[in-house]
Amino acid sequence: MSVKTLDVIRKRLEERPDELRRARENGLKVVGWVGYNVPEEIIHALGFIPVRIAIGGDDRLVEIGARYASSKTCVFIREIVGAFAENQDPYIQQTDILAFDATCLQNYRAAEVIEYFFKKDVVVLAVPRNFHLDEAKEYFAHEANEFTRLLEERAGAPLDSARLAESVALYNDIRKTLKSIYTFQASKDNVISWEEVYDLIQAGDLLDKREYLSLLTQTLDELKERQHHPVIASDDGDCRIFLSGSLIPRGDRKLIGIIRSVGGRIVGDDLWSGILPHLDLDIKEISPAGVALGYLNRTPHAALPYLDLESDRRLKKLQERLSEFKAQGVIYHTLRYCDPFTFKAKETKNVLAKSGIPLLEIHTEYAGSDYEAMKTRVEAFVEMIKIKSEIAEEQGVLVDA
Amino acid sequence: MSINGNYFAGVDVGSLAAKSVILKDGEIFATGLVPSGVNSVESGLNALNLALESAGLKQEDLTYIVGTGYGRVSAPYANKAVTEITCHAKGANYLHPTVRTIIDMGGQDCKAIRIDQDGAVVDFAMNDKCAAGTGRFLEVMAGVFKVELKDLGAIALSATDTVPMSSTCTVFAESETISLVARGEKPENILNGIHHSIANRIAGLFSRVGIESDVFFSGGVAKNSGMKSAIEQALKVTIVKPEIDPQLIGALGAAVIARNFSKKEGLWAA
Amino acid sequence: MGKQLFRYSEANKEKFLESDNITFNDGSTVSPEEIWHYLTEEAPAKYPSAFEVNLYQGNRGSRDETLPTSLKTRYLGLTFSARMEKAKDNGKSIAFIQGGQAVDPYTAADTIALRPGLVNQWNNGLEYGNDINKENLRRKKSKEKAFHDMSFEACQTGGYEHVQAGDLRIDVIAPYTVLRCSDISYGVEAHRHGPNKNVKLLNVDYPLRFQADKPWAIEYFAKNLRRLVNTLDEVTGRKTSENDLLKAIKLHNTGRRLGTELAELWWSADVPPTNSDDRASMVSLGNLEVHGDVQASLSVLKEAKKFIAERVKNGVKGHAVADNPKRLFILGSCVGINGSRSEDAGAIVVGRDDQWSHCSSLVEEVGDPFYNLAKATLEYPYEQSIEKRAQWTIEQIKKSRADGVIFIHNWGCNTQAAISRPIVDIIKRETGIPTYIHERDLHGLRDEQEQNRVNAFVEML
Repeated sequence: MSVKTLDVIRKRLEERPDELRRARENGLKVVGWVGYNVPEEIIHALGFIPVRIAIGGDDRLVEIGARYASSKTCVFIREIVGAFAENQDPYIQQTDILAFDATCLQNYRAAEVIEYFFKKDVVVLAVPRNFHLDEAKEYFAHEANEFTRLLEERAGAPLDSARLAESVALYNDIRKTLKSIYTFQASKDNVISWEEVYDLIQAGDLLDKREYLSLLTQTLDELKERQHHPVIASDDGDCRIFLSGSLIPRGDRKLIGIIRSVGGRIVGDDLWSGILPHLDLDIKEISPAGVALGYLNRTPHAALPYLDLESDRRLKKLQERLSEFKAQGVIYHTLRYCDPFTFKAKETKNVLAKSGIPLLEIHTEYAGSDYEAMKTRVEAFVEMIKIKSEIAEEQGVLVDA
Repeated sequence: MSINGNYFAGVDVGSLAAKSVILKDGEIFATGLVPSGVNSVESGLNALNLALESAGLKQEDLTYIVGTGYGRVSAPYANKAVTEITCHAKGANYLHPTVRTIIDMGGQDCKAIRIDQDGAVVDFAMNDKCAAGTGRFLEVMAGVFKVELKDLGAIALSATDTVPMSSTCTVFAESETISLVARGEKPENILNGIHHSIANRIAGLFSRVGIESDVFFSGGVAKNSGMKSAIEQALKVTIVKPEIDPQLIGALGAAVIARNFSKKEGLWAA
Repeated sequence: MGKQLFRYSEANKEKFLESDNITFNDGSTVSPEEIWHYLTEEAPAKYPSAFEVNLYQGNRGSRDETLPTSLKTRYLGLTFSARMEKAKDNGKSIAFIQGGQAVDPYTAADTIALRPGLVNQWNNGLEYGNDINKENLRRKKSKEKAFHDMSFEACQTGGYEHVQAGDLRIDVIAPYTVLRCSDISYGVEAHRHGPNKNVKLLNVDYPLRFQADKPWAIEYFAKNLRRLVNTLDEVTGRKTSENDLLKAIKLHNTGRRLGTELAELWWSADVPPTNSDDRASMVSLGNLEVHGDVQASLSVLKEAKKFIAERVKNGVKGHAVADNPKRLFILGSCVGINGSRSEDAGAIVVGRDDQWSHCSSLVEEVGDPFYNLAKATLEYPYEQSIEKRAQWTIEQIKKSRADGVIFIHNWGCNTQAAISRPIVDIIKRETGIPTYIHERDLHGLRDEQEQNRVNAFVEML
């Protein structure tokens, strides 16, 4: 039985582009943002409508994007550039201002290319590579103030501290509710699938934030009605897969579909386009710098390097979550030319191997041509995990009699 | 003839060839190998029928059939589909229980597979979507030199020098090869370079999964003596000698799995 | 099967012997006699690949026999590996850095700074007796391994596998994370999981987006430079002072000025006074880091200016340069086109933005040297916004009187690839000069496909 609120959310998403158009006719401005460390609360508190620009899965747009940003740029970025070139995406059409961060250098290049070719009004938040050092935080605080100043210019009004506090409170509630909902997807009886939760998270990129919180609360209430206390545990025959690596934005469901089609069950993720950005965000001070530093202090994006393996909070977080969600294997998704994740694939595999968790890297782009090749790899991985479980259980079927 | 549950078949439909193996009482009883056509169902059936004919059997005589390879997704004759990675592991383990590492080079991809003592896959890695290191790549190269695919390896082994290839992209390598010929490089030296270039690519693949002896080389390209030699040099290993055509290993593994499945139907991958 | 090797002609020996000694950092010198002996006796035996008469080297095996600087830069190149080994044996500290950055703080901290190309050069020189084929096979083999240890889509792997295997005794990996390279910070991070635990790691964090206009960005980078110097000091055990840095800045400013003057002198000539590779090897001396020895680079550079002035005055044309060659300006990644083969096609490379952008950025010598160095570094033209970088490039194109512009980007060089089209668009729009963007395929020899495209572009010009 499906969760009823999810149907409401789907309907509201269909209506959202028109709603944005009407809001703009009434004088409101839409800020489309792209990145990992964009402090969305600041955009919201300035009275803009924030919309996350994150789309994928369309090879045609990738081709168009390559004409402007080269075929050697990451697939996701190429698609974003292609979408701006084509200007058919209903959300892109409704953006007045763009806010990019420079967490990933390719994201930064996308900002420059879109600014140059499509004459968009672009604001960029620079992000330090040495993010964990005190001097880097000080620098980032300056950048956050500059980012705010540039947005204030466009808003025609200064940022009001009380409004920022309200926005922070609202976003905190959203994050808290999402976290509660997320637990249900990995639980026994599977009252809501990971795929449904994933779509739910991404709906928040587009919907009005107050309405979104209300819809999340309804969803959580529905889930609690069905399962009072979610218990994270395997159902019979589960092959519990954790999804990691490059982002999987709306429009790209190729790998997710394949995992399901070969009998894998996704029980968690640490994707940039999934739950990860909503975790561990602790805003200690109501100010632009305070909000931005809250973002920077989360589990960092893979584009920001840790030079000491032992201190890497990304890997620690991954390991914690694998354990929390009782995952049996990791599918590590890397997009063509997505350096932050391709560079770490082998290392992540080696680190997880020490705790007996296998990792399969799936390197792909948005063309459908590698569908069968991907399927073979994922299917073999699922077979491998299942056989491993069975051998462990009872010296299973593949052991010759 | 007693056919009471004794015959199990594996059918492996790849991009260049379809293969089948029938097991009787746990022993290889018959095999079939045909080129793949556009219709993968037909190709698989042709391979299976070839084995059945040589064994004097009918399809109904088979207790259980496992389909594998890219054609496994459309194999109505099979009771079960299993990936070729799992099948190659099982096939190599059947022939040589001491094998722990498999290099499989087929028509459209190349695999590095690590297995345990039971023939279960422990880890694997495959080439990216580029065709370098595949049968198709070598087929294109054979076409450039107008020689038979089966003769490529021997020609490479007769080389006196190794001309490096800068590109392992099939399309670019083809035109680069033509340029090298025009430059006066000898075909055997160029082919030697091509084999070494692929072997290095494969060595890189193994840096992801590691190598443990014994090492087995399966797939159609395993018949290429030049490739075997280049891989042995690149990986610094000795490859075990296969008792049967290495192109049949996937089908053999599928047949072994078919036999196991029939014992415990549906226990896994149900 | 023996390959045909190039031999320097005795006819030029006498003039060469009249040229200056090269003086090294440690105060030692090498005389022209010794250089001549090395180039004609020792080096052909050690490094036959460098002397092989082969199409990839334009069937030349050498650049310009009558230009002493050509022989000296070659000498420094061929002895590079042995000199680095000797430096390590003598306890010198060596750092891995990024291309396209100046090395003033490393010089101040008594550390040799090697960019990726030089790290590879060090490794290549460790094995003797290889012909071109063997040399390239060896490189490809280690590159494949590095690709799988790091990423198949890495542009440069910076000798990762050799540093980690301990083949190259590099003490510290500490590059500027300049935007020119998309991979550099990932490359530094990759070292954390290798077996070599002795190598120190640091990213010298380069701010971006109008960075030169932001006082806080300059302050931040200055702090990064201080952290860099402290890290280098931890390796050497010495204490680098502000005065040491100031002295290094002054020394490097001398190199940068000389390099710039040399380039402008070359551009002023009616006919190209040298071929493409000689021009590049001389101008890049201005950064003083190219041969892993600041003083050696400076001594060759000083002399080079004299030779070029003489050639310009007498209207001497560089070796193997065509009459009225088409003048190409090369942009983009840290890779260039094959100079000799392009000359055979009737072209000459008159400039590149790489290795030039930071050579032309002088550092203020009065005030806090860390702040001054940070400011000058954040002003590198190559690292500016699309429009600003393009405008600077246009100035260089005009100065060099280029007929055509090629933007070349390497496999996996995302941050240069991404802006190749906007940059050439602006150049084309404002100068009307034909432009061409070339994507280099995965590593290897300068392949036929690439040369074919370059030649077609030259024919079009």
